[in-house]
Amino acid sequence: MVCTECQEIISEYIDGALELGEQVNIERHLADCESCRAVRDDLLQIVHFSHQLPLQSPSPALWSRIRSDVDSLHTGVWSRPQRWLARVRALNFNLSIPQLAAGAAVLVVVVSLSAIVSQRDGRPLQPAAPSVASAANADVTPLSNSDFQQLEKQISSLSATVEQKKTSWDPELRSEYERNLYYIDQSLVECRHQLKNNPADDVSQELMLNAYREKVRLLDSFEKF
Amino acid sequence: MPQLSSHAGRRPRFLISIIIAGVLSSGTFAVSGESGSRFERTYTPQGPAHLTISNINGTIRVVAWEKKTISARANAAPSVVIEDQVMGNDIEIGARRNLRLGHADFEVSAPPETALTIKNYVGEIELKGFNGHVSVTSIDSNVHLVNIDSPAVDVRVTTGDIYFDGELHDGGAYSFQSMKGDLDITLPSGTPFNLNARALSENINLGSFVNSLTGSSRGPKGIAGTHLKGGPRLTLTSYAGRILLHKK
Repeated sequence: MVCTECQEIISEYIDGALELGEQVNIERHLADCESCRAVRDDLLQIVHFSHQLPLQSPSPALWSRIRSDVDSLHTGVWSRPQRWLARVRALNFNLSIPQLAAGAAVLVVVVSLSAIVSQRDGRPLQPAAPSVASAANADVTPLSNSDFQQLEKQISSLSATVEQKKTSWDPELRSEYERNLYYIDQSLVECRHQLKNNPADDVSQELMLNAYREKVRLLDSFEKF
Repeated sequence: MPQLSSHAGRRPRFLISIIIAGVLSSGTFAVSGESGSRFERTYTPQGPAHLTISNINGTIRVVAWEKKTISARANAAPSVVIEDQVMGNDIEIGARRNLRLGHADFEVSAPPETALTIKNYVGEIELKGFNGHVSVTSIDSNVHLVNIDSPAVDVRVTTGDIYFDGELHDGGAYSFQSMKGDLDITLPSGTPFNLNARALSENINLGSFVNSLTGSSRGPKGIAGTHLKGGPRLTLTSYAGRILLHKK
């Protein structure tokens, strides 16, 4: 696989939507290609960061404006976006689909941030996560439970050891580790997201605690290599 | 290639060594290391055994048979060293770790009452016909448990589907968890159980059990309830995958 092919499907890879064969191919390529890994990490940061943003409820006035705009689009609702897309394509930016997706995600983040700042509700923003592993460890949901804190401490210590050791691993082993770590981190992000919407959701709390334990198990297993 | 198999029934010295090992609670038999290595052993436990198989990369297939012995065979890549250790009725067989995912496939036959602990990193796992405790942990494995009649089953994988077809015992605990994969559970229609099913991002499909589950609480991510009089605790957890329950 070459970089252009990799970057064509990297969004689907991040969404977990690839067939197993393609997944293996892209992981092999990622294990050897620093620039594609950087693209993947950038996209992951955007995805994770956007998951951490609070949901905003539009005001009733805005809703009514949206409704009237939607009503006015009822005639030829698809023609306008299609024309717009055609115009964008005609501009020939040489952007890949993942790059466009990343651009769109950045736009969403910027707009959401502007909305938060303009509200001036005094809520502190969480810092952007520097990597997949640390994104999952980021303290997005305040954890009062000492179990969580204990597990986070354990994870951070194990992660440091594994990160050190993995430089000497065979690429296949490294890729297996990173893929599974990513799945667990995705689950943790999802749990946090659901807890943010509903902090009293004890199913999500339990699932999150369980996912933390699973992360410890993964790190512990790979720490032995 | 040198013969690596041994047959305890025919070799009194081997039997004595097992007994001594049991008394001392220690003893290691390191085998293999030959090019394209093949591991082959027969163990004769004096009662229900606890068999632990640890693999790095490859299939593990364990099937119950009527004999009282345990037969273990493995085909491994040249770089993989397979070791075994016998402490009384506890038998441990495992591929030694190095810095790569060295391949080894295990084929084991054991008495049905054998308690099984299976650990793997990557590769299919299949267990067939057992009625002892079963514990499976793996990172990336599809797990097939067929014709299982155990008092307790615990399966935990990070990636992979889990398929279970068996019976549940009163008071037993049956836990299946995958972070990324489906859980497909088949139970006899007359089996009572207490269900706790959680799927973070996909559906829970109770099949025709849906009509006979009582006292159930249903949320967006979980279903709990009792089937018939309850008893066995059935815990199903999937983070990115479906949960499917079937009646046999």
